[in-house]
Amino acid sequence: MAFLQAIIDGLLVGGVYAVISIGLTLVYGVMGIVNFAQAEFVMIGMFVSWFAWAYLGLDPVLAAPLSFAVAFGIGWLVQGQLIARVLKAPSVAQIFLTVGLLIVLENGSLLLFGSQFRSVTTSYQTQSLSLGALFISVPYLIAFGMSLLCGVALWWFMRTSWFGRAMRATAQNPMAAQLMGIDTALMYKIAFALGVGLTAFGGAVILPYVTVFPGVGGQFVVLMFTVVVLGGLGSVAGAVVGGLAVGVIQALSSLVFPIQLQNLVLFIVFIVVLAVRPQGLVGASR
Amino acid sequence: MKRWIAIAAVIAVAAVLPLLLNPTGYWIRILTFTLLFAAMAQVWNIIGGLANQTSLGHAAFFGIGAYTSTILLLKFGLSPWIGMFAGGLLGGIAALIIAVPTMRLQGHYFALATLAFGEVMRVIANVWTPLTGGPGGLSVPFMPPSVAAYSFKQLLPHAYIALIALIVVTFIFEAIRRGAMGYRLRAIKENAAAAEVIGIDTTKVKLQTAVISGVLMAMLGTLYAQVAVFFDPDTVFSAASISIRVALIAILGGVGTAIGPILGALFIIPVEELMNDLFSASAAGLSQLIFGVILIAVILWRPRGFITVFDAMVARLSGRAGS
Repeated sequence: MAFLQAIIDGLLVGGVYAVISIGLTLVYGVMGIVNFAQAEFVMIGMFVSWFAWAYLGLDPVLAAPLSFAVAFGIGWLVQGQLIARVLKAPSVAQIFLTVGLLIVLENGSLLLFGSQFRSVTTSYQTQSLSLGALFISVPYLIAFGMSLLCGVALWWFMRTSWFGRAMRATAQNPMAAQLMGIDTALMYKIAFALGVGLTAFGGAVILPYVTVFPGVGGQFVVLMFTVVVLGGLGSVAGAVVGGLAVGVIQALSSLVFPIQLQNLVLFIVFIVVLAVRPQGLVGASR
Repeated sequence: MKRWIAIAAVIAVAAVLPLLLNPTGYWIRILTFTLLFAAMAQVWNIIGGLANQTSLGHAAFFGIGAYTSTILLLKFGLSPWIGMFAGGLLGGIAALIIAVPTMRLQGHYFALATLAFGEVMRVIANVWTPLTGGPGGLSVPFMPPSVAAYSFKQLLPHAYIALIALIVVTFIFEAIRRGAMGYRLRAIKENAAAAEVIGIDTTKVKLQTAVISGVLMAMLGTLYAQVAVFFDPDTVFSAASISIRVALIAILGGVGTAIGPILGALFIIPVEELMNDLFSASAAGLSQLIFGVILIAVILWRPRGFITVFDAMVARLSGRAGS
């Protein structure tokens, strides 16, 4: 029973991991940049949502679109002003530009908001539905539902809209896309802004069960990389599978190991996957 | 010949400089750490610059070195000079363990794998309390001051040891760069497939650089432990303040050049200290924020490091002289 319970919890939490990580894989898929600062947008999403809750009285989950919008705006500027300049630079320059961004975002929020932990109180925070002997936590369920909604919306956008198709064309062959009249610089901006927006959205929906502080992004860095590497860097469908897998691995390992070792299991899975199948377990489909 | 005179002059200045500073003061501490971080960045440069593999996990080897010599001193009273070599051995083994499965990975993937490896070591050091003292950290026991015990009353000897370490690793770096291994590494960097065809065992060469870099980094970990006197897992295995910082120093200075890490350290360590001093009391995060902004600015301005500024200056001067 504990096993089944862990699987359920893992899947629910993993759905959010998927949405948080889709942004990372999307940016890589479209322009070949690994954004080491991506996890900081979880933090930004959480802060936006917390302030919306504290000052506007909005439920943190309903504030998620606001988090998305704020991060989208920041992402648009970051891509246009910073990332665009290193697209052709050596990979060390790309890596360290985003590392610099990570330092700026984390310490900027420390400066603005202070180091204290902030959490929200909601009516459903401690509720759970019982399903026989199993329990389904309501905040987990809501976060999962919102993530699902967000994932479907993204899928619809990428499949059916002109922008989605243009973005996929840019990912496949930027030169050819440009010849077809696609503004690739614009596509990069949309991809990056959309990517960090999704990550911030995921940050907002977990606020009912995770406290926010400036360093909270650090808890998600390796987790997000594990998700995208499991699914194959650049693959959106892979990130969904990877997210669910990481959620389940975390939940199951907490049954066997003490809580401090939870991340260790994740790290080792991550290194083993990188070593054995760097293209991801799902395969290299975009 | 001219080159050797220049090198000798720089070393002479570096050797006299510590004597001019107050031996118990603030500046000698900054100097010691600048020299130590320059050495660490130089060691990173062997794998990051020559083999072109961006490691973000060098804290793993650094921490192994710090812990090995300190634990040997605590449990068996072994001199850190011997512990340093034991740490180097373990650091080399650790480098082999992580490099064998990941050396084939390119660019971002290798960076990610090594980042995770550093974190694995940090978690292990936090959890393995009977050996490492866990999150509470370890204090290096006080020994009667002597060279043999690697224990001194003042920072001055530490500054000289760090200087010697920097000179040694810089010579090792140059020897590799100019030697047969350097040629092989350059061939791999230019075109890995072609290098294979002409008979270079690319995996073996890269593994050698990884192990050399791991051994030296671990030995520098012992130097750090002896200066710092106290450390915990989150300090010596830190992704941000060790792994990323040493890579950053080499990159800002100029990757793959012997002078790069030294320039980088001379810039970053004092600037960081200065900003910590100026701002940490008034507003938490401000000094790191400025540091991040400087980092972004330098990468956008000079993606190949400060060294290019000098190269451009030299080119301009010699161009003028020629015309």
